Amino acid sequence: MQSSAEEKSSTLQAVSQRVPLWRDVVVIKWVTQLALLAVVVSSLWFLAGQAGDNLQARNINTGFDFLERPPDIQLSEGIDTSPATGGRALWVGMVNTLRMAVVGIIFATFLGVIVGLARLSNNWLIKRLAGLWIETLRNVPLLVQMIFYFAVLTALPRVSLESGPINGWFHISNKGISMPRVFISDGFYQWITVVAVGCIAAHFIRKQRLRKQDLTGEDTRSVSWAFLTICVFAVIGIFVHPVFSFIGEIFAGLATLFETIPTSLVKILLSAILIFLAARWIRNFFTSRRSATGHLSLIDDDIFRMVFVGTGALIAIILLISWTGISSWILNSGRDLFHMLEAKFEVDGAARPFDAMKPDIVKPGKFANYGTSGLTMTPGFAAVFFGVVFYTSAFVAEIIRGGILAVPKGQIEAANAVGLNRGQSLRHIVLPQAIRIILPPMGNQYLNLTKNTSLAIAVGYSDIVQVGQTVYNQTGKSLPVMAIWMLFYLACSLTISVVVNYYNVRMKIVER
Amino acid sequence: MNLKNFTSQKQLKTDPLAEASNSELPPKAPVLSPAEWLKANLFSNTFNSVLTILSTAAILLIIRGLLSFIFNPLRQWSATATNMRLLMTQAYPEHQYARIWVSLGFLLFLTGVSLAFWRAGRSVLLSQVGKRLLAIGSFIVLVTLLAPFSSEATIIWLIVGVFIAGTGFLLKSSREDKTTSSMTLLSGAFLLAILSLWVIPYGHHSYISTRTPKILAEPGTVAMTTKLPWTIMLVVAICSYFLGSLIRDKIDEAKGKALLSTTWLISPLFLLFLVLRDPDFDTGHLFSTDIPIFLFFSIVGSVILLWLTNPDIGEKGRVISTAILFVGFATFLFQMLMIVRILTLVLAFFALAAPTFSGQKPARIRYTKVWIGTMVILCWLITAINTPSTAKVPGDFFIGGFAITLMIFFFTMVLAFPLGVLLALARTSKFPIFRMVSTTFIEFIRGVPLITILIFFSVMVPLFLPDGMDLTEIAAVTIAFIIFEAAYLAENVRGGLQSVTRGQHEAAEAVGMTNAQKTFFIVLPQALRVAIPPMVGQIIATFKETGLLAIIGIFDFLYIARSVIPGQTEFMGSTRENLLFVSLVYLVICFSMSKASQRVEKRVGLGER
Repeated sequence: MQSSAEEKSSTLQAVSQRVPLWRDVVVIKWVTQLALLAVVVSSLWFLAGQAGDNLQARNINTGFDFLERPPDIQLSEGIDTSPATGGRALWVGMVNTLRMAVVGIIFATFLGVIVGLARLSNNWLIKRLAGLWIETLRNVPLLVQMIFYFAVLTALPRVSLESGPINGWFHISNKGISMPRVFISDGFYQWITVVAVGCIAAHFIRKQRLRKQDLTGEDTRSVSWAFLTICVFAVIGIFVHPVFSFIGEIFAGLATLFETIPTSLVKILLSAILIFLAARWIRNFFTSRRSATGHLSLIDDDIFRMVFVGTGALIAIILLISWTGISSWILNSGRDLFHMLEAKFEVDGAARPFDAMKPDIVKPGKFANYGTSGLTMTPGFAAVFFGVVFYTSAFVAEIIRGGILAVPKGQIEAANAVGLNRGQSLRHIVLPQAIRIILPPMGNQYLNLTKNTSLAIAVGYSDIVQVGQTVYNQTGKSLPVMAIWMLFYLACSLTISVVVNYYNVRMKIVER
Repeated sequence: MNLKNFTSQKQLKTDPLAEASNSELPPKAPVLSPAEWLKANLFSNTFNSVLTILSTAAILLIIRGLLSFIFNPLRQWSATATNMRLLMTQAYPEHQYARIWVSLGFLLFLTGVSLAFWRAGRSVLLSQVGKRLLAIGSFIVLVTLLAPFSSEATIIWLIVGVFIAGTGFLLKSSREDKTTSSMTLLSGAFLLAILSLWVIPYGHHSYISTRTPKILAEPGTVAMTTKLPWTIMLVVAICSYFLGSLIRDKIDEAKGKALLSTTWLISPLFLLFLVLRDPDFDTGHLFSTDIPIFLFFSIVGSVILLWLTNPDIGEKGRVISTAILFVGFATFLFQMLMIVRILTLVLAFFALAAPTFSGQKPARIRYTKVWIGTMVILCWLITAINTPSTAKVPGDFFIGGFAITLMIFFFTMVLAFPLGVLLALARTSKFPIFRMVSTTFIEFIRGVPLITILIFFSVMVPLFLPDGMDLTEIAAVTIAFIIFEAAYLAENVRGGLQSVTRGQHEAAEAVGMTNAQKTFFIVLPQALRVAIPPMVGQIIATFKETGLLAIIGIFDFLYIARSVIPGQTEFMGSTRENLLFVSLVYLVICFSMSKASQRVEKRVGLGER
């Protein structure tokens, strides 16, 4: 009895004794982390210092002033082939990259779905062909493919001063692939406003039809009704769209509003938003850490997180207030945006929303090339486009196949048992389940495709990397150009992953 | 099915256990006659029939187009054939070429022995082989009929096709239980290929690099300098396979496998710095500096580590290892040899990790052995790198072409793997700052394209280095590759780490393991096993990405094919031919890697346990 009491007291003593500092787990943990952070930061600091010295020794300055200066650059294609400033040149490159990424994603998805379904076909030949397509294209490096397509395209028959007028529907030569072009004309923005109103109307009509279907049980064809509504609005819009030119006035008003707002107001507003966000995050964090009984226990990790968020918000606010450039940039770009929109809506009269033109060959001086009237894929664009689309389609096909195979067979059999036909069971049973498996890897493929467009540099398509390289070869501003590249691609990746995550969350099975 | 099998099955049916296992087997597909097969697989309904007819037409058109492209007299296939040496090793001097053959031979020897030790290959039914041969033969006949050959060539190819198809047909009707090893088939195929080098007149293309380079194309079989070494290589590979299967039964298999794995890891470095470069060792420096430093560190380090791995050492050990770490950092403040600084730091890390590996005497001795092994590799490597080469090669680097592609691929994989594991551990650790740093790093690298990182490293690295330090472009680019791949591998490993269940962690804690021991002995082995398939995928992706070296102007495989050969006056406009060859090489390698990985996956039983 006594001995056990003694033991108890000694244990108590041991517990109540303070752990020495060098043995305290929390202390060791934080000292290690801070030491590592110090090593990382100091080595980065050292390298940055070296870079600064070296740059100074070579008389290279790293400012961003080249963005405002006129460059001596001629771009092969884009919204502006002889840009006025370095910044404009990079902007053209960004637009080219984005254009390639968007077009590539659409076509790669389309082709990939077809190949993936073909891989599952019960036709032996089709199945084997799809397999051959997948295995060949995904095992040859994309760069090799791109260069090969480029070599093939540039070895096609030449467009020269002797070549006569072309038939205008489809022409292929060493200058690219040309076809008729449908382009948006002056009245487009008014027309799209009508279509947008149509979409809202279609939404309500669909809801109403669905309600009727729920009540009566008859098939009300809600989707067809909604689609029809949009079509009706689109057709009517062609005739009535000039009515909407008054929207330009609204945008003009908004632009003047942005001109009159003082920068201090923006600062105050943004700071308030930041403070609100940080406070809400911390409040939510406290709630999540509180146990059911309302007891709150925080470990060192939690405190670190709160301190981190708080400091982050504080630094952001200090930057915002001390650096007027940010606020005025926001105001200016808002104003410019609304001015631009105003200009788009200013056109009145009977402007058509669309126009179409056929391609032709123009011969300025000693050269011959496709004119601007047609839609021309230059060899560079075509090489990158076919490269990324074919390469990604092989991966997309495998993802689609995997997703569909992952749906248990019983589901399809059950669908057949309740009398759904093949199309219905695919649409209502298989696809909704497969899409959950397909979406995350698809998002990854879209990310990869966007990043892969950067290989365009090998075939001379003016994407951001190629333009950036030309700019820094001329100005010697390699560091800022690379910073712009990386920020641009990070922004793209972030956007795509946010969109995919949003759909992921929406598609998730609601569980209890 | 013959009578014997039938009776044995009947006997089995009486055994209830056997019946249970038998019923789990899928039912055998019924054997269809060709007409039935066609109906079931190609013409099952109208839609399928239309699809079949359309795609057949498309296939025939595509094959016809491809053939008329490949066999067009305008094609310059001699551009690829003549420049094969350039494509493989760039400007490696001709009289030193034996070094390359020795390296290749050693690697083939290792491959052969390893294949024997890991019992690669499986038994294949002869009838299956027959089916394949029949298909190949029919395909050759079809291609011959479609191709724009001369009548003589058509007849030869028709005979070849019919011969192969006939062999296949004979094999197809052989007994159902007759099998052969896939390794036999593989070596048979190689044998035939090598034999064809001696027999078939491919033509003799040679590049004579005088002041005005001349290109010779003579009829006849390929040059002796090509066919002789390749024959020797084949003999080496096949002999080493049989040698391997002999040794395998004589010695402890686990030990042999460990030895082979280590050799695989070290031999490329060895070949690279000792065989290919022909180092010019300064023996005086070697005996006065390098060897004493090595001896000092291995002896002193062994003593310290033997002592530190004692389980009873307690706090004293930590104090001492921290002290060594500080000494390691302090060495950077004084003027001394770089090798001493590096070795001190490595010793500090070994000392810090010592408690994790402490234990009984065998464990302590093993740890010390690992230390000595690390010392051998490090000291030898640093000495070899610092030793100039006598093989004088034009250009920036002593080798190029496919060899440099392989070299960068190897270094990237070997070094990116540990870095990736470290990053993954940091990202899943309980230490918030580690987590933050590692997450930022990984997400940043994964968010930008590889080409921007490569350009950044090849352009900017000279700017970031302190005075007096120099890094060749190849090294800078390899570092870029390592960093890039490590970020991706880290994500794969993280997936594996997350798949290790909580119970495993708790069980490890319950038996009193430290955090490091838990990670190293319990969590990582399970996590890495799960991470094998995605990591193999990443390895294949890395191999494909080595092509990007061409963009930054390193003389790799693709760059030579695309820019160097079409630049030779004789071979203007031969880009497409060379690129087709490059695609074929990449296709064969990547395809076989992915097939092999699928087999490995099945073997480790992933997704089944």
